[in-house]
Amino acid sequence: MNSANVTLSVSNVSLKKVYKRYGSTEIVKGIDLEIGAHEFVVLVGPSGCGKSTTLRMIAGLEEISDGTVSIGERVVNKIPPKDRDVAMVFQNYALYPHLSVAENIAFGLKLRKTPKDRVKAAVDEASSILSLDPYLERKPSDLSGGQRQRVAMGRAIVRHPKVFLFDEPLSNLDAKLRTQMRAEIKRLHKRLQVTTVYVTHDQVEAMTLADRIVIMRDGKIEQIGTPMDVFLHPANTFVASFIGSPPMNLLDGKIRKSDGKVAIELNDGCIVPVPHKDGMSFTDGQEVRVGFRPEDLDVVVNDQNHTAPMNCSVDLVEPLGSEALLHLQIAGQSAVAKTTSHGRSSDMSGIANTTQVFGNLKHLHIFDRASEQSIY
Amino acid sequence: MSSNINNKITGIGQILRKDWQLYLLLAPMVIWFIVFLYTPMAGLQIAFKDFSLFKGIYGSTWVGFEHFQTLFNDELFIRSIGNTFLISLYSLVFAFPMPIILALMFNELHHAMFKKTAQTIAYLPHFISVVIVAGMVVSFLSPTTGIVNLVLDYFGFEKTYFLTNPDYFRPIFIGSTMWKEAGFESIVYLAAIAGVNPSLYESARVDGASRWQQIWRITLPSILPTIIIMLIIRIGNLVEVGFEYIILLYQPATFETSDVISTFIYRVGLQGSQYDIATAAGLFNAVIAFILVYSANRISRKLSSSSLW
Repeated sequence: MNSANVTLSVSNVSLKKVYKRYGSTEIVKGIDLEIGAHEFVVLVGPSGCGKSTTLRMIAGLEEISDGTVSIGERVVNKIPPKDRDVAMVFQNYALYPHLSVAENIAFGLKLRKTPKDRVKAAVDEASSILSLDPYLERKPSDLSGGQRQRVAMGRAIVRHPKVFLFDEPLSNLDAKLRTQMRAEIKRLHKRLQVTTVYVTHDQVEAMTLADRIVIMRDGKIEQIGTPMDVFLHPANTFVASFIGSPPMNLLDGKIRKSDGKVAIELNDGCIVPVPHKDGMSFTDGQEVRVGFRPEDLDVVVNDQNHTAPMNCSVDLVEPLGSEALLHLQIAGQSAVAKTTSHGRSSDMSGIANTTQVFGNLKHLHIFDRASEQSIY
Repeated sequence: MSSNINNKITGIGQILRKDWQLYLLLAPMVIWFIVFLYTPMAGLQIAFKDFSLFKGIYGSTWVGFEHFQTLFNDELFIRSIGNTFLISLYSLVFAFPMPIILALMFNELHHAMFKKTAQTIAYLPHFISVVIVAGMVVSFLSPTTGIVNLVLDYFGFEKTYFLTNPDYFRPIFIGSTMWKEAGFESIVYLAAIAGVNPSLYESARVDGASRWQQIWRITLPSILPTIIIMLIIRIGNLVEVGFEYIILLYQPATFETSDVISTFIYRVGLQGSQYDIATAAGLFNAVIAFILVYSANRISRKLSSSSLW
């Protein structure tokens, strides 16, 4: 990418009690979301959680059943997509196969009867930002997946929209290209500073791209926060197991209180002490789930004072080079530990025979088992 | 050299043995072509012979291009070429775009029930025999009892015997053919439209395209290859113009505009028993058809990179 300079006017996006219903089926169930100007917000969640529908309602491709969507100061519920001043990049690129790259990029401007010299200048600008200069005369069928996605982005940026919408734009690319394009999208946003709403089911994309992540499930928002915020302080077991790779280990247990101290008894009788925190409140016998991220479980003791030893058996060792993933059974439940303790040795027999793992209590999470909400 | 040929024969034998089931399936069609299309071609030689039924095809004497000279000196034949050309041209201009327009219109219908009903009504005439359609046209346009003339009469216009007026033949012929076939032919285009990626329309909507612009800039270019293939097929059939239908509709009073090459061949050859002249006219027809389809294909391959072969 070179250093062509583009300045764009941008808007905030606001969703208030937005519903989407198909007959009696509710796809989106009254979500509230404020997206600030210049912000990069990623909607993430499993298939069918309503994230794409939400994006399409912002674009105007789906009608809003209830609630309001505003772009800037304007409520856009009844405004057709073309008048919303948004640009959208689709998963399958949606390039017009009969038009060349340059014509594809210019399509939106030509529809708006922009003067020819301005169209040309805009296309040149976009193609230089996206390194598309050598391909301008080619047809989409002659391009690779990554190039096609760049053309789709070019088509979006020439319009100088107030909001960019991305609908799983990297899902059709292979892993390596996806990493590359992810970086390009991030650079593009850094340069153009256009408000962006980005939908993905890939939590790595969400973590790396977002200013704020919106985690959705079953048409509802489970948590909104910065990537580190949702990683470090998941609001419930769903977010805990969705963000992070591998996901957080959740082990069933019961609260035990004695002498003013709180601990959790796992199913096999193992005790996990709960360090004191202001405002924490538990009842004796309360059913909870203990959460340790895989990187907070280790076969060696790192910090004597903040460690919970737990009995385990190793099912499987997956060496990743500098790290190894241990698939464990703790108190009859599956768990994964990420460890570096094999010291990059090719001999895995040591850790394969592990019978005890140590949880890092500094990063202990506790969730109420019935409500699934974080309580510690 | 001979070992080379032997190798090739063994190669073909191996291929046949390997996929014999496929070749078995192909066989009936090949046999049909040989028996009904290629073998009769031997009979084309009578176009260059003074054909006598008693001497047979092979026994008749050669006369070179004499029959062709006769034909091209025959005003009626020249007239039939002109009529064939004009009817084809009009049907290319008016009847060819009709199914495309119809398909685009069906595609814009969103009320499922209305769409299905409209489509069914448009497809139905295709299944009516051409004889019945001709009968309907004749009775609708009848000067005494036909509905058209009754309506004209009601509004104070003079009754007209449309089918005896050469000026009306072409519009009647092309109009009723369109009514019969346009709906059914639209299926091909509807299938092509169904194949267009729906996100192209969504993307165009976000880009600012109106309904009309979506049709013009996305649907039409996307189905252009189908349109071109259909056009090539149509051009190949240009000289064929609905022979049975013309025979059923025309009468000596309208020969001036209705007599086409195929009806000329029918009258001269079968009714006038001049088989050699009729064959010469038929051969001329076939050569023109071949040139047309070949050129259309070449042009299309050059211009749009879609072609039949």
